[in-house]
Amino acid sequence: MQKLFDTLILIVAAVGISAGVWVGANLLFDQVHKNWVRFSALISFVGGFVVLLLLQGNRLLQSNGPSSDSITNFGELIWTPVLGGLIVAALAVLVARTEEALTRLIVGVGSGLIVGVAIGLRLVEEARPEIEAGWLIGWTVVVGAIGAGLGVLRGRGWTTGLLWGAAIGWLLGAFAMPDLGSGSVTEAVLGAAVPGLLLGLRVGRGKNTDRLGRGRLDTRSRATIFVAPALAFVAIALVAPTMLTLWLSLKDRDSEFFVGIDNYRSVFTDVNSFDIGAWSAIFTSRLFIVGIILLVLALVVGFARRLQSGSGFEAGGPAFAPLILSSVLIAFAVFSVLRGTILNNVWWVFTVTVFSTGLGLAIAVLADRAKFESAAKSIIFMPMAISLVGASVIWRFMYLARDTSKPQTGLLNALWVGLGRLSTGSGIPTTVGTVVLWLALLGTLAATARSLVRRRWDHVALPAIATVFLGWIAFRYIGWLGEGIGGFREGADGAIKPDTVFFVQDTPFNNVWLMVILIWIQTGFAMVILSAAIKAVPTELLEAARVDGATESQVFWRVTIPQITTTIGVVVTTLIVLVMKVYDIVKVVTNGNFGTQVLANDMFQQAFTNQNRGVGAALAAILFFSVLPVMVLNIRRMQRDS
Amino acid sequence: MTAALPPSSQGRGGLDSVIYGALRKIPTTVLWIIVMTWSLPTVGILVNSFRRRDDQRGEGWWRVFGDEGGLTLENYRAVFDAKSTNSLNESLLNSFAIAIPATVVPIAIAAFAAYAFAWIDFKGRKWLFIGTVSLLAIPLQVALIPLLKLYVGGAHLTLPLFDKTITLFPDLGLVNTTTAVWLTHTGFALPFAIFLLHNYISDLPSDLFEAARIDGADHFTIFWRLVLPLSVPVLAAFAIFQFLWTWNDFLIANTMAGTNPDAIPTTIRIANLAGDFGRNEHLLPAAAFVQAFFPLMVFFGLQRYFVRGILAGSVKG
Repeated sequence: MQKLFDTLILIVAAVGISAGVWVGANLLFDQVHKNWVRFSALISFVGGFVVLLLLQGNRLLQSNGPSSDSITNFGELIWTPVLGGLIVAALAVLVARTEEALTRLIVGVGSGLIVGVAIGLRLVEEARPEIEAGWLIGWTVVVGAIGAGLGVLRGRGWTTGLLWGAAIGWLLGAFAMPDLGSGSVTEAVLGAAVPGLLLGLRVGRGKNTDRLGRGRLDTRSRATIFVAPALAFVAIALVAPTMLTLWLSLKDRDSEFFVGIDNYRSVFTDVNSFDIGAWSAIFTSRLFIVGIILLVLALVVGFARRLQSGSGFEAGGPAFAPLILSSVLIAFAVFSVLRGTILNNVWWVFTVTVFSTGLGLAIAVLADRAKFESAAKSIIFMPMAISLVGASVIWRFMYLARDTSKPQTGLLNALWVGLGRLSTGSGIPTTVGTVVLWLALLGTLAATARSLVRRRWDHVALPAIATVFLGWIAFRYIGWLGEGIGGFREGADGAIKPDTVFFVQDTPFNNVWLMVILIWIQTGFAMVILSAAIKAVPTELLEAARVDGATESQVFWRVTIPQITTTIGVVVTTLIVLVMKVYDIVKVVTNGNFGTQVLANDMFQQAFTNQNRGVGAALAAILFFSVLPVMVLNIRRMQRDS
Repeated sequence: MTAALPPSSQGRGGLDSVIYGALRKIPTTVLWIIVMTWSLPTVGILVNSFRRRDDQRGEGWWRVFGDEGGLTLENYRAVFDAKSTNSLNESLLNSFAIAIPATVVPIAIAAFAAYAFAWIDFKGRKWLFIGTVSLLAIPLQVALIPLLKLYVGGAHLTLPLFDKTITLFPDLGLVNTTTAVWLTHTGFALPFAIFLLHNYISDLPSDLFEAARIDGADHFTIFWRLVLPLSVPVLAAFAIFQFLWTWNDFLIANTMAGTNPDAIPTTIRIANLAGDFGRNEHLLPAAAFVQAFFPLMVFFGLQRYFVRGILAGSVKG
């Protein structure tokens, strides 16, 4: 109950203070038109308050300053700024009420002096400078000249700029250059009073701002009030930390010494992040061989078609499906052999992008014009609402593997072990399985033959591939190409025992099972966007193609797809950026163990567990530079769109 | 593609038409097989969340009808039991303490900025706007660790030329609090929020603003009385996206408050529950559902806005 109450207070305070400060600032600048004197008082109070708060916060002012390292006592911190702000406000009212030029000059200079002297007197002993005249005069002249120059450049005259510049230069010369802590009170007063005098002179010289000036002030201050909170947040949360990370990536593990690109070099030479030593195993892997056979087939078919009709490799043609499939197989063969954090990330990006986009497109097409279209799409899209942590938990239960003496409670292992039992057993269930498999095989065979007989070359590839795949399964099932199929193993005595797949632990394909989780989530995203794009293709275009005698698949590949290429590009780029940063799934399911490490997780482990800030920052920088080109593309597209 | 076959094949009798009829149903069948497969993991865990511990461990969820104990709410009771160490109560409150400010504050700040970038004429606004939007390119991982250090010890600038150190940002003891988490969310959300709201606000008809100015309204009034009410659709879309993003976030919360059990949101709580796998395995399904409850409510209740928000938010860095 207490916690609930605290939470409510926290929320109200967070939202209330943010709103209060902002509305307050607006009300403050409303006074520009309504009551100039009041505005002067308020703005001077704020100015004085902020300056004194900064001084106090840096422990430069005497007395009730905070004693500990962290500023915890709010009362101690706030007293001097409030009091000082009130004094500044009072002086500002005096200046603002004075119209006569000479009096105004005197009042202005006097006020500035008073404030400067007061600050100088209150400076703590450690902050009193040992002033060196040379530095003091040098900085004052140089910065004053810069100020005057800027004033002239902006066409505002040189005096104002000169006064500001001289004040800043004097401050730098008096406090920034010499040793602090060895000077006297007089020197501290001298250092603080002159800038006060100069700024007082600046205020006293000018007239009270006229109507036009007030209008300009209003516009400019409103712009600041509206934009400043956002810019401040963004600068603190994004700009400064990013630059710091890039800088730290060039320093050693404790951020002490500059080491150049050593961190990057160590990332790319570490076998954990980049291991291509076993490359020759690629060529003997089954995936690769099947992939190459398919690729050769696709090329033969493609070139044959090109000789015949002039185009061989167009999307949706007979060479298209084998080409895509073979590249996926070859990619998987390569990625399962070449290991390491960086290559894992590339594997993630490749797999999730290809499958989410492909499946999303397929579902969008299948659902288009189907009954209960929106219900089907809702179910596919629903995982988008679930957190990645939640999704990881959900899939953990799918991937459970238990001791084979007990029933499997993970669905996938239950199916796998069941299939193993079925194919190695005997009796009616096994026979039923055989019959079903062979019927399916006959079906795909018939579909292939039908397309061949009707010379519908575009429709040959998919059934043919399915036939080969099903045939392999069917033959194994009846024990012709090795013993059975599914989750089992043969004991030394020849006895058949059930066996499970450790989806999460078995390297390297556990990576793919983790990717499945993200594919499960992101397919819905791809589907919704692509579905909207498909529905936006003009019907006249489709009708025209149909009237010209195009088949539905030709309409799809030659009309719809070219119409939605931009959208596919959007989906692909968005997914690439998103997948590149994958973190939660790996963190929750394996925490990078079993060869599933990815950049984002590695970065946190390096920075926190290994306490190596340099390498952690370098990994972050690698992540940054790898998403940068895609993001730049994305942002440019978004700006074009809007 | 329900009409995947050429029209010429229609209207024949006999076996051929039976085969065509069967082939014609394939796309719909495939679609529903995919849909079923897609929902299986969620269905499985939903069923398991209502089963007793021993039933869960004994047989898979698809054997739920053979359970001896029948269905039970025990797991949900355990998850909401304030006295239990497995309770989600506190982390649910933390999730709200993070998600609500992290939704409201960026909307407000971004709306101000978007309005200024669109309708207040000030120097350098084009470049400031482009600069802000290009920050979308920064993956938040890059900024997280320095930001954490800011919360831990404040920010101090050492002037190399002068050899003096200035405190720019004091140590406010923010680390390991929900405040640190939502402040971080706010900062990271802004470039995208500004971009999204600016698109919308700059498209509002300019006659409206001229008329208001002639009537003597200042920027504050125009913003408050005109722009905010007119921007409700885009604000709602962003709010939904941002709420889901912050509610479901693990990365930022884990970095900023992960080590303080009093400040962690539900996502981390569940990840920790999953961490001691085995002991609390039977509570995970219920916990996961409680965590997903609010997002799913938003999903089913405000689906139109939800889709718009997700689509708009998908480009966020």
